[in-house]
Amino acid sequence: MTVEESLTGPDTIKKPRGGGGSGLGRYILVRFLLIIPTVFILVTLVFFLMRVVGDPITASVGGRLTEAQLNERLEAAGYLRPLWVQYFEYIGQVFTGNFGRTVTDNRLISEVILTYGAATLELAFYALIVAFIVGIPLGMLAAYLRDRWPDAVLRIFAILCYATPVFFAGLLLKLTFSVWLGWLPLGGRAGTREQLALGRIDNPTGIYLIDAIRLGNPAVIGDVLAHAVLPGLTLGLLTAGVFLRLVRTNLIGTLGMGYVDAARSRGVRELRLVRRHAYKPALIPIITVMGLQIALLLGGAILTESTFEWRGLGFQLSQYLGARDFVAVQGIVAVLAVIVAVTNFIVDVIAALIDPRVRY
Amino acid sequence: MASISTRRRRLGVIGGTAAAALLLAGCATSDGGGSDLDGIIVGTTDVLTSLDPAGSWDNGSFAVQINVFPMLMNTAYGSPEVEPDIAESAEFTAPNQYTVTLKEGLTFANGNDLTSSDVKFSFDRIINIADENGPSPLLGNIESIEAPDDVTVVFTLKVENDQTFSQVLASPAGSIVDEQVFSADELTPSEEIVDGNAFAGPYVITDYSENELIQYEAFEDYQGLYGTPETPSITGQYFTEETSLKLAVQEGDVDVAYRSLSPTDLADLREQDEVTVYDGPGSEIRYMVFNFATQPFGTATPEADPAKALAVRQAVASVVDREAIANEVYNSTFVPLYSYVPDGMLGANESLKGIYGDGNGGPDLEKAAQVLEAAGIPTPVPFNLQYNPDHYGNSSDEEYALIQSQLNDSGLFEVELQSTLWDVYNVEYREGLYPVFQLGWFPDYPDPDNYLSPFFLPTPDADGNLIYSGFFANGYNDPAAIELIRQQAVTVDEAERVALVEQAQDQVASQLSTLPLLQGASVAVAGTGITGVEETLDTSAKFRYASLGRE
Repeated sequence: MTVEESLTGPDTIKKPRGGGGSGLGRYILVRFLLIIPTVFILVTLVFFLMRVVGDPITASVGGRLTEAQLNERLEAAGYLRPLWVQYFEYIGQVFTGNFGRTVTDNRLISEVILTYGAATLELAFYALIVAFIVGIPLGMLAAYLRDRWPDAVLRIFAILCYATPVFFAGLLLKLTFSVWLGWLPLGGRAGTREQLALGRIDNPTGIYLIDAIRLGNPAVIGDVLAHAVLPGLTLGLLTAGVFLRLVRTNLIGTLGMGYVDAARSRGVRELRLVRRHAYKPALIPIITVMGLQIALLLGGAILTESTFEWRGLGFQLSQYLGARDFVAVQGIVAVLAVIVAVTNFIVDVIAALIDPRVRY
Repeated sequence: MASISTRRRRLGVIGGTAAAALLLAGCATSDGGGSDLDGIIVGTTDVLTSLDPAGSWDNGSFAVQINVFPMLMNTAYGSPEVEPDIAESAEFTAPNQYTVTLKEGLTFANGNDLTSSDVKFSFDRIINIADENGPSPLLGNIESIEAPDDVTVVFTLKVENDQTFSQVLASPAGSIVDEQVFSADELTPSEEIVDGNAFAGPYVITDYSENELIQYEAFEDYQGLYGTPETPSITGQYFTEETSLKLAVQEGDVDVAYRSLSPTDLADLREQDEVTVYDGPGSEIRYMVFNFATQPFGTATPEADPAKALAVRQAVASVVDREAIANEVYNSTFVPLYSYVPDGMLGANESLKGIYGDGNGGPDLEKAAQVLEAAGIPTPVPFNLQYNPDHYGNSSDEEYALIQSQLNDSGLFEVELQSTLWDVYNVEYREGLYPVFQLGWFPDYPDPDNYLSPFFLPTPDADGNLIYSGFFANGYNDPAAIELIRQQAVTVDEAERVALVEQAQDQVASQLSTLPLLQGASVAVAGTGITGVEETLDTSAKFRYASLGRE
């Protein structure tokens, strides 16, 4: 590298030549276009994996039908046509937003998503709050106390958080706080009376906390929050472990940088260094990782919702899996794939806006 | 070392978190603040397949339908006999004509008149739609239905003097629906039924979230058998886990838990002071089926020998210890069953008790050994026993492990035990893949015929060929039993019919097409101060909310 190059910095070297718009514009465009192959590959994989075990109608209701009835249903649903015809038709449907109907209860997949999506969104929100509240401060603490025994304890805690199976963590929390101590509800999103109250307000959003606040009844708000504690903790701790490790590693890296050393040499104390100088730069990678965490959260939500009877998309997905309703599973997974891809895109854009280095 | 201000801030954060947690816990334990609900909450793990009676034939759906749709005939509390519900009278007016007269002035909750036209519509649509989950097979004896005036319905039957027909009218096929709300040729979505307020039973549904929560309010103009409900407001809450339901009733979050709690949970609840466990007579049965073609020495095996095959069945019947299964696996929520028609039903006898085992219901290994020896069968006899772990409750694993152990420990059998999930099991047992297998039965209506005809009469397949025997397709073909079962179904004189039912059971017992094992009790758990649970726990298996009240 020449002196001139080093003065102009790496941005100058990697700038696109011959036009093509700004780096940010290109970055967003490329990221956006990547959504299409990502979703395409996921949907294709799900389509063929579902068919490895046979057609969905025989799998879910075959035992209750005569052979003639079964053939009639298969014919009507188009499962007697060649696989590649079914595949291209399905792809066409997916890209026009039509995910089909469930086999077991004949509901539109889009209706299922709308009905249960709000609950999953609410759970993801609680989980992210837990992940931030637990993961980031503890990550900072671990970095501050690096290589001392509390750091070791926190690192083990982080490993336990993301290595413990979600259903096992959920069961442990249920046993402890619901069964033995009796402090918190065992499952569900709200008590019976509270659910009825929420259903009676005009146009409920399906996000119980918002509906409860709109209802303006403190007891209902408290009940909804109480029901959210254990599922939120279960799912949140899974992500908190990742955040803790990430914040710790990044913070330690940042604390070793020149400008931090300079501040240290000026006599700034270590805790102040962490709080004032190092933690903001260290958090930037977390925004990038958050996109990936959404996928982790959705995966974890299936188990968390089943464990706590939290009737969201994950719970419904597990019910359809149990009923061998592969059309429903295929549709919901396809929608989840779209959500993950779009979320990743949004997070990438936000990260690029905050930190220009990300664009290259 | 942290400064004082830092420590104060830390304390503030901790204190704030603790205060928020306390507030949360305080709010969470506040009771009844959510709404004006002052009724009774009934919890269940049953699943509702469809609110439309044409689209369901299962316990979970019928449990809702029985409380919101009226029937022509119904079962009064504590009796398997049927009586007029919204009918004024019902009788055979000719050997093949069953005439029902409706009460005057019947209406649906939405204000529409309930007339004979609605009745005809209700039955016709079930037959026409013939949904694979629906109860149309129960209406197989209906030739046609006429509604000559607003209160008269005439059913013309294919088989004359069908003594089960009044029971069919009180079965899952008997709900009367509003022809102005329901579709004639396809299932009506639950939302349309609820929005249309198309109910005329003891209750109407005011809030509905499928398989989550159903809110019922008493229907003031109901004129049926159950009268004015004891409680104006009932809430049905659905659980996916038996344990969650158990804890909910134990903690008072639900007032009544009905279907299903595990034997272990029930045993635990019996020890609790806060709840009462009610045991009623049950109509559910569990049994083993022998496939006459593929069982040891069956007709399709290389060593086919009907006499030896019978000896194997008889030996198994003498080895199995039902008492041990009922007590050790089911904590007495099931009782031993020694007949094909269970206790409490017309004509129930203990046809197997005297001829197999020790004569008192217990096992007799020596007798079993003698039967095998007399037939020239070397022991141990190897055979495959198949069961299903996901359709008859979690205890099936233990039940069949115990049966395997009883048979193996006798030294007379060498059992290979295998399990298969229901969706596959349900297909494969009919294909004869399982030589000996587990099944259970909930009656469609509490009549002895419902425990005999479906099991032991041949049924035609799509091409008109007869399949023996019933929906097991297990190859049992006994003309004597078939004749007795057909006769009892059309015998008008009750004493004569009871005698025929008993003879039919004795005949089947001698051939052992199936081996009855257990009869389920009907169990519900209620919190303190709840009344009316005992009244509705009977062999009809109908849990009627109208009897539930508070002290």
